[in-house]
Amino acid sequence: MMLNKIVEALKKRDDLAGWTVRHVQTREAQVYAVPQGIESQRSVENEKYLIDVLRSTSTADGAPAVGSGDASLLPGEDIDHAIDQAALVAGLVANPIYSLPGPAVFPDVPLCDMSLQKDASTVIREVMERVQAAAAKHSSVRLTAAECFGEVRNTHLVNSRGIDAGQESTQIDIEFVLHSRRGDRESETFDAMTRRRVSDLDLEAVLDDRVRYTLDTLEAEPPASWQGPVVLRNDALTIFLAGDNLNGSVMQTLGSASSKYAKFSPWELGKPVFNVEVKGDPLTIRANRALPFGTASDCFDAEGLPARRVELIRENELVAFAASQRYADYLNIPPTGAFGNIELPAGKTPASTLLAEPYVEIVQFSWFNPDPITGDFATEIRFGYLVENGTRKPFKGGQLVGNYMEALADVRWSAETGFFGSYLGPHTARFNAMKIAGPE
Amino acid sequence: MTDMKLPSAMAELRPALGEIVGLGLGRAPYFSVLLSSRHGLNIVVDDREEHVTERQPAAGTVLSAFDGGTNFEHARVGFNLPEIQSAARDLVSRISFQKYAPQPEPERRGDFVTPVQIDPLEMSTQEKLDRCRALQHQAKGRDPRIVNARVIYNELNEHSVFADANADLAQRVQRVNMFLLVIVAGPTGEIRYDFSSKSGTAGWEVLTWSDEDIQHTIDGALALLSAERIEPGEYRLITTPGVSGTICHESFGHGVETDMFLKERARAAHFIDKVVGSSLVNIVDDPGLPGSYGSYFFDDEGHMSSSTQIVENGVFRRGITDRYSAAALEISRSANGRRQDFSRKAYARMSNTFFGPGDSTLEEMIAQVDHGIFLDKWSSGMEDPQGWGIQVTCHYGHEIKGGKITDRMFAPIGISGYVPEVLQSITAVGRDLKMDGGSCGKGHKEIVPVASGGPHLLLTARLG
Repeated sequence: MMLNKIVEALKKRDDLAGWTVRHVQTREAQVYAVPQGIESQRSVENEKYLIDVLRSTSTADGAPAVGSGDASLLPGEDIDHAIDQAALVAGLVANPIYSLPGPAVFPDVPLCDMSLQKDASTVIREVMERVQAAAAKHSSVRLTAAECFGEVRNTHLVNSRGIDAGQESTQIDIEFVLHSRRGDRESETFDAMTRRRVSDLDLEAVLDDRVRYTLDTLEAEPPASWQGPVVLRNDALTIFLAGDNLNGSVMQTLGSASSKYAKFSPWELGKPVFNVEVKGDPLTIRANRALPFGTASDCFDAEGLPARRVELIRENELVAFAASQRYADYLNIPPTGAFGNIELPAGKTPASTLLAEPYVEIVQFSWFNPDPITGDFATEIRFGYLVENGTRKPFKGGQLVGNYMEALADVRWSAETGFFGSYLGPHTARFNAMKIAGPE
Repeated sequence: MTDMKLPSAMAELRPALGEIVGLGLGRAPYFSVLLSSRHGLNIVVDDREEHVTERQPAAGTVLSAFDGGTNFEHARVGFNLPEIQSAARDLVSRISFQKYAPQPEPERRGDFVTPVQIDPLEMSTQEKLDRCRALQHQAKGRDPRIVNARVIYNELNEHSVFADANADLAQRVQRVNMFLLVIVAGPTGEIRYDFSSKSGTAGWEVLTWSDEDIQHTIDGALALLSAERIEPGEYRLITTPGVSGTICHESFGHGVETDMFLKERARAAHFIDKVVGSSLVNIVDDPGLPGSYGSYFFDDEGHMSSSTQIVENGVFRRGITDRYSAAALEISRSANGRRQDFSRKAYARMSNTFFGPGDSTLEEMIAQVDHGIFLDKWSSGMEDPQGWGIQVTCHYGHEIKGGKITDRMFAPIGISGYVPEVLQSITAVGRDLKMDGGSCGKGHKEIVPVASGGPHLLLTARLG
């Protein structure tokens, strides 16, 4: 009802060159556990209307330009006042002219877990019980904290060019901490996972893995310095390629049209993305918002651009930037919409071959946060294994030191693939020449 | 005197909060209501375009019922009285609370407002945009290698009203920060950048940039074009206040959040009243520090701000608490129960966390280093409260040779090490004290504004 009133009010404004309004409603259930029991149970209801407007303006020398402004409304707030504010701001700004997306066919990307849609609070309680039960199977490890959030989100987008579309999505977020003690040594494993569906979590297998890491961490020593093959698998590889909640990946920065327009990205269409010799497998990367149940998937993005699976890099050469409508217009390239999930094709080498000894496997970083523009990194290793002579020797500490693109220029990808929420592709990668700075 | 400017819907609801608290206390041993509004403005101006956008607002009501075992909460958007009355009734009626006698708390009443000289809420958007444009204009084009200069302004306007059986509190906290980002390109197209920032719980009076500030940022970006990677190893270091603060934040900040004690995630829990660093080390968390970016008058659980001495002369004294962990651990509260916004739970979180100053001058410290590194600028950090590992990444550092800082630059530089060893290695602490504003997550979420800082420090750590 309020959305209709906003749309009607926007239609009456002849000072606007275009507008978009999104009505976003979320329902969330949250549960938090500590060793003493359930610390907190929360239910959250949120709703807002997000209005973006464009006005025709002019630059200081009189050239035609466009300005944008925005405003947010809570239910019941003054619609005309919000639109006035957005229009006022839009009138202050003079940017190169760009357009809004027009109507399109929106793909029916699967985004929902039906059980979460129906009753999120029951589902997350059940998930919490599964986490607790899976941890309880292991007497040498304790679950000392767990959080579980289940969200249902509805978005309805209308714009001045005729888009009128809705989408519903679900999301489940889990964090847990496993703790173990042997004598005066303690260890913990922290993990966080986000998926659209509970069935994509594979909780029991994940818990079993993390229990093993927790126990192995009790034996872990600081690593010696290492120069040679480094293997990343599953979640560690996902963090490397797709980033995390706090940071996008280097790929998302350098491969975005907005970065290119701002001159942050040196990449050029039709040119190699590497400025060093490629010694490993050729790199092909897709930005895929249409990935079923991908955590960065949607049917349409915040501008109203339909989900697409876009090839960005083909055999080491940049073939497209991920571009919003605005930056697509600025760079005169096709709009792709928001970046979405990262997808890589299967490699040619069996994972078992990539695990030829010796190598170092990094299981968990403290925080893999390379410089998003230069790609340089020096990141502490939370936990890993040195694998040689048929043994897996756990270690903790040391820093992985290098450069993101140089690392990708010398990597081999596994033939076997997996889905990890925001990443679909080879589940194992062997970086042939990386450097670990040990503490001694 | 700066105005409270409480949003009208919050002001209208506030007189009814006592009745809602009473309704909750009819069944729950403890009951509180928080009204929270966080909104703001972001402005970006660079060589090619401008953005003026509203910071996505979060405004809503949190109803909390606590029985000593579980904190039951309902959070909903907005400040609609009938909806909140109904939600309060619904929340307490569907729970069987256990018996619990909350710790007695003093009466807390009052309205509190960040003192500002140039109030962002009194300025027009045009004026703010023009000031950003003026700074950007000063920076761009000063060197042909500059490919873009970007000014980023963030304004965060927080209003909170808190009520429980003993509290009727309201606050307006005004935060601002501004970044200058200079991007340069080298002869073979390589891109490098440097940045500088100003911030505070304050108004525009803290966002002043001298010509020297601007040139220093440009010089930093240009110097990065010829920076080297550092040879990994152990070094004598001098840290600037920003880097000192990040070490402090990641070591005895996150590591002493007492919800981590409950979760058995904090090694510090075993070190109360034990030596954890050199006797020169003092660490404090103080949400009442005037003007610092992480300041507030009361936390999101209605506890009045006061300073907490975390480490005293190298001895760990106590952690920082939220309501739940203080009750469970049976320790006294500190004002550190903070939420990202109304939609999230309160955790024990830092505010302004810093090393206390010592008595050395920077010149004296540099003169003591024959071969080492001067760490100029931090870029990120991550906690490891259980393992007590440090990960701090610095944007760059300079060589110190023969007691002098040279032009040789290294970038980026990662600091790693075991917290007690790093703190034990501190052999000199500067007289200065400076705070850097920023954002802090709990793990990878729950972002809150904080500040970290301290003086220059002379220490030993592993770099890579």
